Amino acid sequence: MDVSSDEADDWFMESLHMYKDLHVFQLEHPTKVIEWTSEKSVCVAGYSSPKNEILELLLPLKLYAGDKQGLCPERDFKVQHGGFCDEPVECLRHIFGKRCVVTSGHNSSKLQVWDLGEDDSDVIKRTGVINLERTSAEGRKIASGLTEDPSVLHGCQINDVQLIELASGKVLYAVGTDSLDAVSGLQFVNANEFVICANNGTLYVGDTRHPRIEQYALQASVTRSRWSFGLKTNLPQSDLASCTVSRLSSCGQVLLSDFRKMSSPVGEAQLNLQHSFPSSDFMTVTWAPALDNFLSVSGLDGTVLVFDTTRWTTDLKNPEPIFVHRGHHFSCEAKTDGTPLVVTTHVWHPWRPRTLLSAASDGSIHVWDWYKHIVCLAFFCSWVFIKNLKKKRRRSTCTLH
Amino acid sequence: MFRFFRQKVLLPEPLLKAERSLNRKAQCAICLRFFHAEHTCQNSRDLPVVHHKKYVCDLPPNHRFPMGKFPKVLQCLLKDQVITETQVWVPLLASDEMLGSVHTQEYLSNFITGKTDEKEQRRTGFTWSSGLVQRCRYETGGTVLAAQVALQRGLACSTAGGTHHAFPSYGSGFCLLNDLAVAAKHLLTESRIKRRILIVDLDVHQGDGTAFIFKDEPDVFTFSMHCGKNFPLRKQCSDLDVSLDDGMEDKEYLSTLQAHLPWLLDVFRPDLVLYDAGVDPHWEDELGRLRLTDQGLFERDQYVLKSVVKKGIPVATVIGGGYSRDVDRLALRHSIVHRAAAKVWKEYVT
Repeated sequence: MDVSSDEADDWFMESLHMYKDLHVFQLEHPTKVIEWTSEKSVCVAGYSSPKNEILELLLPLKLYAGDKQGLCPERDFKVQHGGFCDEPVECLRHIFGKRCVVTSGHNSSKLQVWDLGEDDSDVIKRTGVINLERTSAEGRKIASGLTEDPSVLHGCQINDVQLIELASGKVLYAVGTDSLDAVSGLQFVNANEFVICANNGTLYVGDTRHPRIEQYALQASVTRSRWSFGLKTNLPQSDLASCTVSRLSSCGQVLLSDFRKMSSPVGEAQLNLQHSFPSSDFMTVTWAPALDNFLSVSGLDGTVLVFDTTRWTTDLKNPEPIFVHRGHHFSCEAKTDGTPLVVTTHVWHPWRPRTLLSAASDGSIHVWDWYKHIVCLAFFCSWVFIKNLKKKRRRSTCTLH
Repeated sequence: MFRFFRQKVLLPEPLLKAERSLNRKAQCAICLRFFHAEHTCQNSRDLPVVHHKKYVCDLPPNHRFPMGKFPKVLQCLLKDQVITETQVWVPLLASDEMLGSVHTQEYLSNFITGKTDEKEQRRTGFTWSSGLVQRCRYETGGTVLAAQVALQRGLACSTAGGTHHAFPSYGSGFCLLNDLAVAAKHLLTESRIKRRILIVDLDVHQGDGTAFIFKDEPDVFTFSMHCGKNFPLRKQCSDLDVSLDDGMEDKEYLSTLQAHLPWLLDVFRPDLVLYDAGVDPHWEDELGRLRLTDQGLFERDQYVLKSVVKKGIPVATVIGGGYSRDVDRLALRHSIVHRAAAKVWKEYVT
């Protein structure tokens, strides 16, 4: 641990009031992917050695016990299924509606298809490989198709983005553009429409029914960084016009845009960065599925920041986060090799309003449910003040012995 | 799996036996006049239970400290007819002088008048209120009374106590005053006869405050058996620390205790044992990382109480730590030590 045990003890006491629930797990090797495979389980995979484990973890059942938490003993993550991958896993996606994930690797030209297994087996088996022409140093980005037949949208440059049918390996669709922009991420909005974010922050919107693709570039002055994006949708069937998109840059800039009017952002913020040149490998920005206008950011340092963007404007600088998860700094079992700790990824629970999972470069993985911090604190302080005021009025003399 | 730390110096046997016999008679004379009590149960021949209705104060809703457990412990013992009202002793508030034997004047003054700063308060897990001060003082008074009554009757149980993370000049971990330390110091000094006190702390968290307070006191031996990875991560040195691994269950826990307690009693030869019977080693505890069951806690408490009482040594118990959002279940769990004590009382004391 880089922090002193005294600081860790201080944080532990504070965490009792900050979190409704907090469960920690230590993976043998860190992951940069967390993907929901069901309401109560996630898939993670190693990226830091030649042979890496893919694991399906069951979240602590105590989290779901509600008021009956006292009756539920299980507060640990459990490994339900596991398998080995022969390459570091850069991207992992669960295929919509199936017990199957697809991975892409570091310095690799293939996508691998894995069967997660059912109750009768604890093995994650590779069931297919899709060989592609181009090798990608950072791994191809992947998105699950939202159709009945399992498919994946993938690409490492905009001009090679394709939709592939998993069962046959057939190319169902290819983007019709010669843009060489590197892909930072891609996601389907509904069965046909999808959004791609390029490393330079340009957004591309396409439809699998025709190869034409719309492009929305950033203004030149803000393009000197690497960008990632987060899309707020009502999966599996969203209307593109109702989606909000957030983009995060490696300089800590956050842009919020509306597809109805892409010419200028609807909100903008500049975050304070701990390090001058954070690695952009792990930048993650996501929208809360069950809280309107709540956005979370990680990958810039060892924390996850949660913001309420309701009042963000286009000239907002340094917004205060509504919550900061610092727990990864205090993981007592974690191994550190001297490099600064960074949160590698995070995801929101699909329907629990304030539950998130986050993973860090030290192998720790946390699931946490935070209190409405600022509101709770304000209420608490005023409650104590009023109580003490009432007591002072009632008592005329001090009763110390 | 567990590590030993330093041990206290031992006294020769013949001197100890004579001393103890003299101690007992002198103790009886003194305690009758000096019980720290609002109400005593001198005519009761049943297990003494120490309780005060002001062991509680109001906390905001959803506060993690289960304040409601204290009256519920008494209620479930009465409801299950383990005890009756006639055996409930009521303590006085712990005085400034009593508290001053352990805590610094500056801390006490700030604590009592509400001048502890925000950082100090955050470490304790509580925001200051005058109700909080009062309940801590009653709780400390309760442990003092339980110790006094134990000296006279052989066994006594408080329905609160075990605030072992409090240090002389600051509070920590839901502990603001160190009741075990105040009780031990009070009993060391209230009589001219030398006493030796053993503090057996089986709360899942190390009794770091108590260990620190008595590190240079040869007449108080601090024994803490706790989970190594639980709070506090910054450990102090008790006279004997046994650090357990996560997930330990009933059988291994009891056998570890059995490996230490008997020789400790024989070698240190205390005149009084203060027993912190924390229930946070239970598998349902939200903070503890061990996996004891209700039966495991009962066997633990019964083992400690029997071992001590059979050697003719008085023992006072406090409930120690336990954390659960289901306060009824938690109170029932805390009452395990009282049920074990009632059984031991019936078999060995009456």
